[in-house]
Amino acid sequence: MNMMQPAEEIVASPATQKETIERFVETERRRQKKKVLVNRLLAAGFGIFVLLVWGFATEGGFVHRLIIPSPIDTFWAMGRVMSADYFLPNIWVTLQEILWGFAIGLASGVVLGVGVAMFDAVRATIYPYLVALQAPPKIVLAPIFVTWFGFDQPSKIAIAVVMSFFPMFLNTLTGLSAVDQNAVKLMRSLTAGRWKTFRYLLLPNALPIMMAGVKLCWTLAVLGVIVGEFVGASAGIGYLIYAMNFQLDIAGVFALIIILSLFTLVVYQLIEWLESRIIFWKQL
Amino acid sequence: MTDSLIDGQHISKVYATATGPLVALDNVSFNIEEGEFISLVGPSGCGKSTLLSILGGLEEKSDGTLVLAGKHHDSPRPDLGMMLQTSVLFPWRTVRENVRLPGIILKLDKKEQAERCDELLDMVGLNGFGDRYPTELSGGMRQRVALARLLAHNPRVLLMDEPFGALDEFTRETMNVELLRIWEKTGKTVIFVTHNIGEAVFLSDRIFVMTPRPGRLEGIVEVDLPRPRTMEAMRDPRFSELVFTIRRMLGVDH
Repeated sequence: MNMMQPAEEIVASPATQKETIERFVETERRRQKKKVLVNRLLAAGFGIFVLLVWGFATEGGFVHRLIIPSPIDTFWAMGRVMSADYFLPNIWVTLQEILWGFAIGLASGVVLGVGVAMFDAVRATIYPYLVALQAPPKIVLAPIFVTWFGFDQPSKIAIAVVMSFFPMFLNTLTGLSAVDQNAVKLMRSLTAGRWKTFRYLLLPNALPIMMAGVKLCWTLAVLGVIVGEFVGASAGIGYLIYAMNFQLDIAGVFALIIILSLFTLVVYQLIEWLESRIIFWKQL
Repeated sequence: MTDSLIDGQHISKVYATATGPLVALDNVSFNIEEGEFISLVGPSGCGKSTLLSILGGLEEKSDGTLVLAGKHHDSPRPDLGMMLQTSVLFPWRTVRENVRLPGIILKLDKKEQAERCDELLDMVGLNGFGDRYPTELSGGMRQRVALARLLAHNPRVLLMDEPFGALDEFTRETMNVELLRIWEKTGKTVIFVTHNIGEAVFLSDRIFVMTPRPGRLEGIVEVDLPRPRTMEAMRDPRFSELVFTIRRMLGVDH
C-alpha cells in the first residue's frame, strides 16, 4: 500500500555536487562571521566616540567639571566609592530591599494573576479594582509609604512591590488567557478538568509572556527602591546618590549610577539566561 | 429502539446571538453502527461541526436525544477521541510526549502507554521522530502526530473535524490513504467532518449530507465502492456518480 516515507531529509540529486554544497556553506558561514564582526565594530566604535566627545568636552574645559565630571574623574571616583567604608553596608541595604521587593512583587503578581485567570469569582471580586489601581503612576505612593512604614527598609520594599506587582500580574493574566481555543477543546475532550488543563496547557503556554513580566518586574523593583531612597532614607545607594549630589560630588554620583546599572544589567542577563532555559521551545 | 452504537433522534441546537436566536441544527436524526466510517458533508454553516461537538459531548444540544453505547450522552468521555483541523500539538512537549498526553490525563498504565506510543508512531510513519519537537516537523507530519495522539487512549469512536483541511492537496490525499489503512487495521468507528465531497466519498461507508440555514440533514448517501480502497477508487465511474449525486443534494450543481 501507499506507505509514504516520512523522511524529510534533503537528499540532493547527483547533479548537485557535494563540492557545490560545501562551497555554498563555506561562503555563507564566512558572510555571517563578517556581518557579526562589522556589527560589533560599529557598536564599539560608537561607544568610543561617545567617550571621546565626553572626555573632550570635560577635559577641554567646555563643560564645568562640577556639572559633568570627565571619564577619568568618574573612573577614579568608582575606585574611591567602592573602597570607602560606607560602600558595602549601603549597597547591602539596597540589595536586600530590591530582592525582597522583587520577590514579593513577583510572587503576589503570579498568585493573583492565576487567581483572576482561573476563578470567575476572584475575577469578579478584585479585577475591577486592580485595573483601576494600575492606572495612576505608582511613584505617587512613595512619600505616603515613607510616612506609613518609616525611613528604614520596609517602605522601600513596599514601593518596589507596588511597582513590580502590576507587570507580573498583568502578564500572568494575559499569558494564561492567550491560549488556542482548539487546545482547550482538545483538553476538554480528554476529560481534563481545571487543574489538569492548567498544569499541562495553560501554565506552560503562559510562560513566555510571564517571563517578559519577570524582566519588567526586575527593572521596576530597582526603580521603586531607588525612588524610595530618594524620598526618605538613612541608608542605601539611592540615599548615597542623593547625598553626594547635594555635596556636589557629581563624579561620585556617576560612579554609583554606573555600579547600579551594572548590577541591574547582570541580574537582567541572568533572568534572560533562565528564560532561555525555561522556554527552550522558542529557540528551536 | 435500535441497538446501534450511536443513536441520535430529533437533535436540535439553537444559539442566542446578538441578532436573535440562530438555529444551527434543526431536527437531525441518524444511527451509526460500530465500525462504520461516516462523513458529515456540507457547506459552512450547515451545522456539521456543531453536530460533531455534540457527539463529542463538548456542546449541549437544545433538544432531542443522543444515546452512545446504550447510555445517554452529554459530556466528554474517554472512549471518544477528537482530532481538529490544526494539529494542536504542545510545542514544549516532544512528539512522544504529545502522543503520551491522553494517557497521562486519563491516568492510563505508563508502561503500556509507552509501548503503544511507539507502535502508533510506527503506524503513522514517524518511527524515529519521537524525540523531535513539533516545530521541527512539517504540517503533514504534525497531523500524523495528531493522528497518533488521537489513537493513544484507544478510543472507540474517532471524531475528526476537518483534520486535513489545512493541508495542501497532495499531503491531504496521502493522509486520506493513511487514514483508511489505519481504520481498516483498527476497526474504529469514525465520524469525519469535511467540506470536500471527493474526500468524503473516498473515505466513507455512508455520507450525511447537510444543508445550511437552518442546519439540516438533507439525506444519507451509501458509498458502495469496494474496499479496501486505493487512489484507484477515484477513477471508478461510480465515484464520480456519487460526487455528482451529493453535489445535486447540496444544490451546488448549476
